[in-house]
Amino acid sequence: MTGSPNVSRRMLLGTALSAGAASMWATPTSLQAQSGGAVNFTAWSAAVDQVKSHISAFENASKLKVNYENFPWAQYRTSVVTRLVGNAPMDVLWISDAWLPEFAEAQWLANIDDIPELMKYNADAAPYCTQSMTYKGKQYGLSYYGDHMSFVYNTDILQRAGIDKPPATWDEVVRASLKIKQAGTVEYPLLLALGIDTWLVEFMSAMVFSNGGRFVDPQGAPLMAEPGRGAIETAAWIRDAIHTHKIVSPGAVETPEINSLKAFGAGQHAFYVSPTYRLRALNDPSQAAAAGKIRPALMPRGPKATASATCGWIRFYGMTPSAKANAARRANAAKFMEFFGGKDDSGTYRFQKLLVTDLGLPFCTMPLAADPDVKAFWDKWAGGGDVIAQQASSALKKDVIAPWFGEWNESASPAWQSVFLNKATPEAAMRAMATKWNELRKG
Amino acid sequence: MSTVSVSALDRLGRRFGYDERSAAVLIFPVFIVLLAVAIFPIVYSFYTSLFDINLTRPWRRPFVGFDNYLRIFADPNFWVAVQRTTVYTVVTVSVTTVLAVAVALLLNEAFPGRRLLAALVLLPWATPSIVNGLMWKWIYNPGYGLLNGLLVQIGLLDRYKVWLGDPDLTIFMIANAAVWKQMPLAAILILVTMKAIPEDLYKAAKVDGANVFRRFWHVTLPALKPGLMLVLVYETMISIRHFDLFLIMTQGGPGDASYTLSWQIFVETFRNLKFGIGAALSYILALATFGLSYVFIRALGSKL
Amino acid sequence: MSERSFLYRWQPLGRGVILALFSLLLVAYVAGPVAWLVSSSLQSEADITAVPPNWIPPKVMWGNFEAIFTAGQRTVTYENRYQGDPTAGRFLPSGAENLLPSVWNSFVVGLWVAVINLLVSITAAYAIAVIHFRGRQTALYSILITRVIPDIALIVPLFLVVRNLGLINTKLSLIITYLAVTLPFTIFILISYFEQIPRDLYRAARADGCSHWQALLHVYLPLSVPALIASLMFAFLTSWNEFIFALILTQNIDAQTLPIVISGFVMDFTTSFSFVNAAGVIAIVPPVVLAFLFEKYIVSGLTAGAVKG
Repeated sequence: MTGSPNVSRRMLLGTALSAGAASMWATPTSLQAQSGGAVNFTAWSAAVDQVKSHISAFENASKLKVNYENFPWAQYRTSVVTRLVGNAPMDVLWISDAWLPEFAEAQWLANIDDIPELMKYNADAAPYCTQSMTYKGKQYGLSYYGDHMSFVYNTDILQRAGIDKPPATWDEVVRASLKIKQAGTVEYPLLLALGIDTWLVEFMSAMVFSNGGRFVDPQGAPLMAEPGRGAIETAAWIRDAIHTHKIVSPGAVETPEINSLKAFGAGQHAFYVSPTYRLRALNDPSQAAAAGKIRPALMPRGPKATASATCGWIRFYGMTPSAKANAARRANAAKFMEFFGGKDDSGTYRFQKLLVTDLGLPFCTMPLAADPDVKAFWDKWAGGGDVIAQQASSALKKDVIAPWFGEWNESASPAWQSVFLNKATPEAAMRAMATKWNELRKG
Repeated sequence: MSTVSVSALDRLGRRFGYDERSAAVLIFPVFIVLLAVAIFPIVYSFYTSLFDINLTRPWRRPFVGFDNYLRIFADPNFWVAVQRTTVYTVVTVSVTTVLAVAVALLLNEAFPGRRLLAALVLLPWATPSIVNGLMWKWIYNPGYGLLNGLLVQIGLLDRYKVWLGDPDLTIFMIANAAVWKQMPLAAILILVTMKAIPEDLYKAAKVDGANVFRRFWHVTLPALKPGLMLVLVYETMISIRHFDLFLIMTQGGPGDASYTLSWQIFVETFRNLKFGIGAALSYILALATFGLSYVFIRALGSKL
Repeated sequence: MSERSFLYRWQPLGRGVILALFSLLLVAYVAGPVAWLVSSSLQSEADITAVPPNWIPPKVMWGNFEAIFTAGQRTVTYENRYQGDPTAGRFLPSGAENLLPSVWNSFVVGLWVAVINLLVSITAAYAIAVIHFRGRQTALYSILITRVIPDIALIVPLFLVVRNLGLINTKLSLIITYLAVTLPFTIFILISYFEQIPRDLYRAARADGCSHWQALLHVYLPLSVPALIASLMFAFLTSWNEFIFALILTQNIDAQTLPIVISGFVMDFTTSFSFVNAAGVIAIVPPVVLAFLFEKYIVSGLTAGAVKG
């Protein structure tokens, strides 16, 4: 074609457009992942600096590049599900133990039983952690951290109300709270985070287990609707705490875990059910006014319980099947998982130790318990690690973990809240939960 | 004379007049953009809604036709969601519209400082919905929120109260946050229409001796119909689908006090991993939105 | 005073009082919460959780804003990582350095969307409103229909489309998506405005031999400045505020927009409330500046050449 004006105008336009487009076009990181030298790691936005620092070390040691993306915890599942459904290039990701059956059934996680360099770390891991990562006989990852719900109290408030030791049963909690309330300093001595939150099921499980109860029997049949099995009693106890004794604020149903953390750290309550790792933040003067006064106690027992029990959970590193299917990506992902979930190039569990000493995240690797730095950490930030260790040994895995956990939990949360709001009886709410459980089980 | 083949384009050109061709050219860019980004997802969603999909059971995705829709209608949660959504939408749209008209009337006046006021009115619109949700959640905080502090200091309240966590109030508190943010745009749209009202109409009313309110009712309001239609359609469309605020503020709770249809869609799709049901719910919501918009357009858009 | 005035013929004093009263209420309503946001961002964490609340910061603390502006990209190593350091005093979420870059991203995306949107919607609105062609109603409704589906339902298929185009984590994907999101409504705004312009002007122009382009440029556009500005602002602000598509389509700060980065702060347990408020203030500033710049076109500069009866 001889340069007719139309053609040259068009060509010019095309060039201009693509130049303009190029200015907005960042290299999609997804492309990098396909090459042999990168690992895609997806996490939620906790311990970000710790992760980044360890990533720097990993990149230096292995000469691989890590594409690290994180989302806020509240949006993590949505974002991850979208990516998994869309087959986005993901290699390693953090997973909550509650999602394991669902994700395994959906074939979003690959089992690692045939990767010996990862399986060897089971020898050092607490059996409870390894079990939490096992579904239908296969193991799906290495642990990131493991923790349990602790009962924490404010020593100062107790002392000023004349209470010399923390309550050991839930009845004692009521008595102590009323005494503190009468002393006039604190309006709602017991803080519970009852807002709809990912943590809610763990809070509820802790309280039900502490009552000696369970949600589900070993065969998977629901027990929650049966009186005397803990769930009804727990729901009724919390409802009474809010409406009868008034030791728990009615605003608790709108308060998610993070806001409760701040409230407790501000010294506004005497007792709180909290993940153990929060002790670090609660006793930190730069974050909490009540720093130095927060101590853990054993979870109070219900009238039927013989020993203190609580709910434990783990979060772990999982590998995607698409990563495992590709030899190069599988090797890189395995290296990454080992560096983070196992020992790094220094031959120690450096990352796990880092998480504890920086943030107070407890670990699954048993040898670390003997480490003097770790002991010193707990002495400093929790007044000693004995109570924590004792509680950890009696922590029970959530028994509602099943392939339909997500859906069941969606209806269970409002059911709990309807009891706390006094809009439904505990019996009716638990019956609804049990019915839903059965319905999904048959599913 | 060489035979000139009559090209197909020429033939088309003669069938469709200048008007039609111009229109086609002018509308073409819009459809390109929409096709790329909107049409495929919409069609895909509908397709998905005809299957029973549970992502935790990826090996079995039977085609179920409209069964998903039937199951939804039989689900009591759905009707709860419908009720919540209706209350929320009606409250939000009506309050926004009324406020918008009032604000537009105010801004239509000439007085010193009007320009500054107009600029300030744009503040809520400029706030991202995330920030809006966080801000109001902070204001409603039962422990140290502004609302509590203010009411107690004025003396309207004697102790701090739970706002967002009170299931009877939840939806109204969220609606308040939504109205705050959406009012400026609605006010601007009304104002823009108001400015276009011909002076003659007012002159005629003056000659007839109408007072303020009659003039408003008989002259201003009818002439505002295009603007009102815009506002009503837009506000309805977005309020009925509001999601960001619910995600940030209440997550459907407490209990099911703020369990709207868009929240249900989110739960079914991303938490229960039932994409088929989620897509079907979306289509039901879409139909409702379209129906309402159509009604508004027919009633108020005289020439469409 | 114009005869359009609502309070035409009221006594100046009564009118003044009414106007002042309502103006004050309005200012309190729109600016009050934002003022609280600003005030909270300047207080320390202890002050912010005081009961009763401190309306005015007892001691203005610029730490949050300092942190936002001085946080730079840093390679995090063991040596320089943020720990729970008691001597640090102020607590920053580790994503703080992403805040300003995300403002830039939001700005670029918003600008592109606003400009392209205007170009595309002017032509389409003109076609539908002015040219009475067959299929006009269908065109309008089919454009509107694209917006009746809730965004949540579109997330996964949109992600698939964008991924197949290789555009994940690019600003381009956001721009195109937001165009699709804003076009239907800006077209609607412009249609409604174009229709208010008397058709006689159009007929006169066409009778004079104007093509559609010329009619558009010389007749309709000059008379529609307020609507054009409103559309421009609508497109920009919608892009600025949009959250859920950005969440799904972006992965890191190369393309993440402001709402994504801010939402990240909320869930970081080390974040202070006052920092989140400071981030909120930053989020509001650029659009407010733009709004200030443009409001005069909307509110006052209309009467010149306005549509007379």
